[in-house]
Amino acid sequence: MSTKTELQQLSSKSKSSILAKLKAQVSGADYSKLPVEMAYEYPELSHQQQLELFTNNLTANHAQVINTSKESIERIVAEELSKRNLNKILIGTNSEYKDGLSAQLEVQEYDFDLQQNKPYLFNEVAASLSTSLCSIAQTGTIVLWPDENEPRTLSLVPPVHFVIVDAQKLYPSFSDVLVKQKWQQNMPTNIVFISGPSKTADIQQTLAYGAHGPKELVVLLINV
Amino acid sequence: MLNIHEQESKYAESARKFRKNVDRDLANQELRSNFRGAMDYLMDKRKTAFPEQDELETLRRQAQLIKQRCLLKLPHLLEELEQNLTKNGIHVHWAETPAQANEMIAQLIASKKGKTVVKGKSMVSEETALNDYLEQRDIECLESDMGEFIVQLAKEHPSHIIMPAIHQNKKQVADLFSGNINDFEHTTDVDALIQQGRKTLREKFCNADVGISGVNFAVAETGTLCLVENEGNGRMCTTVPDLHIAITGIEKVVEHMADIPPLLSLLTRSATGQIISTYFNMISSPRKKGEKDGPEEVHLVLLDNGRSQAFADDELRQTLQCIRCGTCMNHCPVYTRIGGHAYGTVYPGPIGKIVSPHMLGLEATSNLPTASSLCGACGEVCPVKIPIPKLLLRLRKESVKPESQQPVIMKGQGSGRTTLEASIWKAWSLVHKVPALYRLSMFMVTRFRFLIPNKLGGWTSVRTAPKPAARTLHERLRERK
Ligand code: SF4
Repeated sequence: MSTKTELQQLSSKSKSSILAKLKAQVSGADYSKLPVEMAYEYPELSHQQQLELFTNNLTANHAQVINTSKESIERIVAEELSKRNLNKILIGTNSEYKDGLSAQLEVQEYDFDLQQNKPYLFNEVAASLSTSLCSIAQTGTIVLWPDENEPRTLSLVPPVHFVIVDAQKLYPSFSDVLVKQKWQQNMPTNIVFISGPSKTADIQQTLAYGAHGPKELVVLLINV
Repeated sequence: MLNIHEQESKYAESARKFRKNVDRDLANQELRSNFRGAMDYLMDKRKTAFPEQDELETLRRQAQLIKQRCLLKLPHLLEELEQNLTKNGIHVHWAETPAQANEMIAQLIASKKGKTVVKGKSMVSEETALNDYLEQRDIECLESDMGEFIVQLAKEHPSHIIMPAIHQNKKQVADLFSGNINDFEHTTDVDALIQQGRKTLREKFCNADVGISGVNFAVAETGTLCLVENEGNGRMCTTVPDLHIAITGIEKVVEHMADIPPLLSLLTRSATGQIISTYFNMISSPRKKGEKDGPEEVHLVLLDNGRSQAFADDELRQTLQCIRCGTCMNHCPVYTRIGGHAYGTVYPGPIGKIVSPHMLGLEATSNLPTASSLCGACGEVCPVKIPIPKLLLRLRKESVKPESQQPVIMKGQGSGRTTLEASIWKAWSLVHKVPALYRLSMFMVTRFRFLIPNKLGGWTSVRTAPKPAARTLHERLRERK
């Protein structure tokens, strides 16, 4: 018998045993009479207040938030990079910002498979730019929905991550996003919430940034 | 060929030494001040994260009900989870014991000819002592959470479930790095220490064949694995290597995606006082066609390890509501003083005292539920309202119940029972049932009170011995008439 079959047999044996034990306890349970789960009603905030909260939360978590217009994105990215003595950036494929950025910077598209390019991504890319799906005011969170154009590691491996956030797609809370966007119906491979640069307090409760992910998170908030 | 040797967990052995461990760690001043400082910091952080009592209590009640509903539906949710994960392309494996889980993981790694593993924080893999197991198979398994990395370098175990290296201060970490990492320039600057860790680990992420992670919530309705973290190592482990294996306890499943927001909010705020963690990572499938990164294969190992035993009793089932925030430790006066290692178990502190007996049996752990002043702080801060003090009392009872008494609720029932203690209580109850006996015994106690010794073992090590009155209250009241 192959190991794989053996593993499957072991797993299904364990499964039946675990489920039988659990089912014996709750077989007669009446699910129609469960107590009401009351959620807390948060005060309603105006769009302006939400924007403020979003920005404050992100700033408190050490992210840099820059208010901008869509037209100025490329210029600001170039400026911010030059402040850091950088002139290269990794972006997603089919990016609408490609041409504008290429005029001022050395632009690399994420048009490769990670498997063959790990050393490149880990050792040679200093900064990246990604877009976002939406954002959440209550926690200062940016929601990324990575895809073929903007892979998961685009926002993870490079030490400086620029992310474009549209102020029009700001929601008050996570619960609210789920109600409005109904992700439950079709989950992508990965969704990631980002609420600041990577950090840790694992050594003597002292906060340090850039633990494993980006050391800097620069949020380009399209607000005009 | 599978190679499964069921053997006693190494933690059973260390849990049996609880009292010795306590003496050792109470005497360690540096350790005590490390814990004191850390716990004060964490309690303070939590307090500021919940400015509104009203919000906190509403959230706690909601979370308690969510977890109770999910437990009531647990077997069905596990089936639904498996169905949806499988539909999404994630393989599910069921393990009753740590030995089974370890062997499954080792075989999955072998099937890909994996040699190097990077691991994100996973307390369940500590439960199974996975690192030891893989090491014996010549598979390098490197911890990548900064705290876990430190603990692994020091050849220790985590002393806290959220902050594994909380027992060490920066000087100790610096010395550790000096002794273990080539070309590390000794410094106690925390930023520099973290940058050193980053450098070492990035190389590993880049080259690892396999990533192993835990799971904070598994969503049944969508087949989604959720991971909460600040560092990004969890994202690395689950994205960069070709094979991702997640391992979790069967109680981590929730019914709906909509159950997550209140649980997540309570988790991070209770744990570290953060309104949200830096990353919240939701994984629903392996790499799809056309995608340029992410693992080709994703597996989930569901582990029982005593959880179904806790499940079988309505009261003890509440143990499984736990979302592993660690705040019961932070607020525990016993944990703060003895630290996390003294317990000898994977999960220390109040949660450890109520969950470890199910994993290791009461025989190895019967001391743990007694190591509490029952001050109630743990139950008061627990975000899912587990009545921890009540469960401690319950476990004390189970541990002194006669071995043969039915129904047997727990492995190791009655192992804390001694004939002496049992007969004392028997005599006590007899004396209180028969008035003549009661009067006689009171008469004896008052008249022969001078016979009570000054030293009464452990009782008088920190107290003076009790002295009965010269006459009983009954006698004195009778005289007043
Ligand atoms: S028992 Fe409650 S307070 Fe303790 S770790 Fe679990 S959820 Fe947190």
